[in-house]
Amino acid sequence: MSDRSPAPGAAGVSPRDVSVADAHAVALEAVSFTYTDGERPALSRVRFEVAAGEMVGVMGASGAGKSTLAKCLNRIVPEFEGGAFAGVVRIGGRSLDGARVCEVAPRVGMVFQDFEAQLFSTNVAHEVAFAMEQVGMEREEMVRRIRPALEAVGLAGFEHRDPTSLSGGEKQRLAIASVLALRPAVIVLDEPTTDLDPEGKAEVFALIRALREQGLSLIVIEHEAEVLRSADRLVLLREGEIIAEGAPHDLMTRIELLEECGVHPPDLNRVLAKSGIAAHAANVDEAEALIRRALPQLGASIHSSHLSRAAAGTSPQDAAAADGAHPLVEVRALKFNYPDGPPVLDSIDLRIASGEFVAIIGQNGSGKTTLAKHLVGLLRPTAGAVMLNGRDRATMRPAETAAEVGYVFQNPDHQIFAATVEDEVAFGPRNFNLAPGEIQRRCDEVLRAVGLQDARALDPFLLSKGERQRLAVASVLALRPRLLILDEPTTGLDYREQRRMMALVTELNRDEIAIVMITHTPWLVAEYARRVVLIRGGRKLYDGGVREFLASDELLASSSFRAPEATELSRRFGTVALGPDELAAWLAGQR
Amino acid sequence: MPIFLYIERATFIHRLHPTVKVFALFVMFWSVYWVDHPLALLPLGLVMLALAEFTGAWPNFYRLRWLFILVILSTTLAWMVFYRKGPALINLPLIHLSRASLVFGLGRGLKLAELLATSVLFLSTTKVEEFTAGLARLGVPYRVGFAITLAFRLVPLFIDSALTVVQAQNLRGYDFNRGGPLERVKRYVPVLIPVFMGALRKANSMAMALEARGFGMSRQPTSFIDYPVEASDIAATAALLALGAVYFTIYYTGYGAISPK
Repeated sequence: MSDRSPAPGAAGVSPRDVSVADAHAVALEAVSFTYTDGERPALSRVRFEVAAGEMVGVMGASGAGKSTLAKCLNRIVPEFEGGAFAGVVRIGGRSLDGARVCEVAPRVGMVFQDFEAQLFSTNVAHEVAFAMEQVGMEREEMVRRIRPALEAVGLAGFEHRDPTSLSGGEKQRLAIASVLALRPAVIVLDEPTTDLDPEGKAEVFALIRALREQGLSLIVIEHEAEVLRSADRLVLLREGEIIAEGAPHDLMTRIELLEECGVHPPDLNRVLAKSGIAAHAANVDEAEALIRRALPQLGASIHSSHLSRAAAGTSPQDAAAADGAHPLVEVRALKFNYPDGPPVLDSIDLRIASGEFVAIIGQNGSGKTTLAKHLVGLLRPTAGAVMLNGRDRATMRPAETAAEVGYVFQNPDHQIFAATVEDEVAFGPRNFNLAPGEIQRRCDEVLRAVGLQDARALDPFLLSKGERQRLAVASVLALRPRLLILDEPTTGLDYREQRRMMALVTELNRDEIAIVMITHTPWLVAEYARRVVLIRGGRKLYDGGVREFLASDELLASSSFRAPEATELSRRFGTVALGPDELAAWLAGQR
Repeated sequence: MPIFLYIERATFIHRLHPTVKVFALFVMFWSVYWVDHPLALLPLGLVMLALAEFTGAWPNFYRLRWLFILVILSTTLAWMVFYRKGPALINLPLIHLSRASLVFGLGRGLKLAELLATSVLFLSTTKVEEFTAGLARLGVPYRVGFAITLAFRLVPLFIDSALTVVQAQNLRGYDFNRGGPLERVKRYVPVLIPVFMGALRKANSMAMALEARGFGMSRQPTSFIDYPVEASDIAATAALLALGAVYFTIYYTGYGAISPK
């Protein structure tokens, strides 16, 4: 492992440097780039190498320069993104200087975060053929390459499927197949699983590991360290500079540094560090062995599929709230289907009381968002009813609904339009014809709550994604709903922004605002929610405490949900911890 | 919602050469264009219904049934307001219901419906890639053809995004239907800005993904789909030429008009 400052004065490249670079699949020499409208360099004299067959994980906060680094590898920077570029990028020893993006495609394959934006064809085989057509490959060769590319990503037999009918994980694997078909020596994956559910995420990372076995050079950009454990080397970026690099077992133990850089440190490392064990665990088994060695007094390993109720613990507060006499929301025998379509929701009953914190989970397409949209009246039930505070929602005016339930969409950019942050927040209250004084009061109040009080005069489009997400929450909060629905509130945010967002949500919840959070992210459910509603195939499969849910293998398996590693580890010791801190505290109590 | 209308079937229409399909689209439009009388349009309509049955395109026609009904009814009624020839059969306010206005209106309605049906049939049996390939064989540059492909791909995405934006703003109490016509147009600003910004971002992501997959490397990329010209293509072309000629003759002799020459 090495901490380092930017490579000193390597703007010119001597012949000797070229021979060194030749040994690498990828070599960046003193690469700097400043976007046309950027205030500071997105990359600053970066020196970065990847050996043939090596898998390198690149981590860092939003804006650290990860994507810019990736885009340098196939000339999107500076060919496509405008700005000032300096330095040399070599692929297989050859400089990319002067090359067009399309010319680099056969050498460097690039997979983006937004899988919807990288599929262009009406069937899977065409999609894989697309890049080969572009480079002018003969048809016979394309036919020869399609099958192996699809086999490599586990999509053999899908040739005639419409890509839009695939799941998120399958779409992303298809995008990888289409890149593989050109047989590049290097593949760059820029946060490839951000928009995927846990199952899709697992599919893609299993594929990445398989590709690594085949000897491809891989560069994977992520802000969750846990998924990069199988990398040969990790690189940590901050403000456009590589500030540390090393093997996963070195870098992942530096919890503070990772957090400081907006990277989510692995649960296992956090537990070990907090328990005073200076070692790295590559998986739960290793972590368990390390802890048992340090704490021999712990009992035998427990591999029970379902822990006792006592061990799992219950959530008495939630049970009382759910059984309260006047639930805030009551869903009765809700059924929903689109005209001529199969049922999307079936026989859903749900009661949510004031001050609850509920996570709705389930695979993509299970009906989570459809259920949430019923709560706010965006969809009308085919059968059954949604009651808000004892009144049938169907009989309520929009203003009355808005005072009960607010909905923050997954993408904040679906609602932001105003010229200033303050106008954006005032939009809702103005629509309801509130008095100017009252509007001002509410703006002040919610902007303070979300920490944007100093940004009130700014153009919302200049804010970071995390700030825009908080602005979206503020603009919904300005209507003072008693229940706030958040659809994937942390998608696309780095670890620091995610924590900040969730701190805000927790604070709101403390003020008795009920929270319904739709999410795929296991640690958010474990660390923040107090009740889980699991939807599968349009039906409610589970409704209860978070601990009980995370203690049950059957429930986890049927939801394709993975318990966070800290929880998985805690179960080996016969308890159910909801996060690394809780497990570390429990272990401390066992000493 | 499926993004494309294409329905995979193994009919000979599906297997036709893309250029023949593009030519068929042209001939159908041509034939519909030259005639006005419902009786002259009827055989074309029947051919289209038969083709819908044969190609398994019914689900698309069923999906769009209300659009077809709306097009025929609203056009017929609209022309009854403006086409005021012939003695009125019944006295109605605004609408002039005569045999002539009914025939004229129905003719216009059928015409539009048949143009729509032709497009639905074409898209039900032609993959977007084939459309691009067909246009390329007719001399349209690859990039133009691909832009059309991309438009098909993008429109549903933008509609989806616009619907989400409308929902988001509705939930913040926004009423799109307040005020006069100009005011209503202005009131769509809170939708247009997010949709436009989203479209720009999406277009940017797509353009990057396209170039990263080699788009632009060759002016005339190779094609994965092989399109050999078969006997059925020649037969279909002959039949289409005949159809086009027949309809032009009907027009030329005046039989397709509302009042014969």
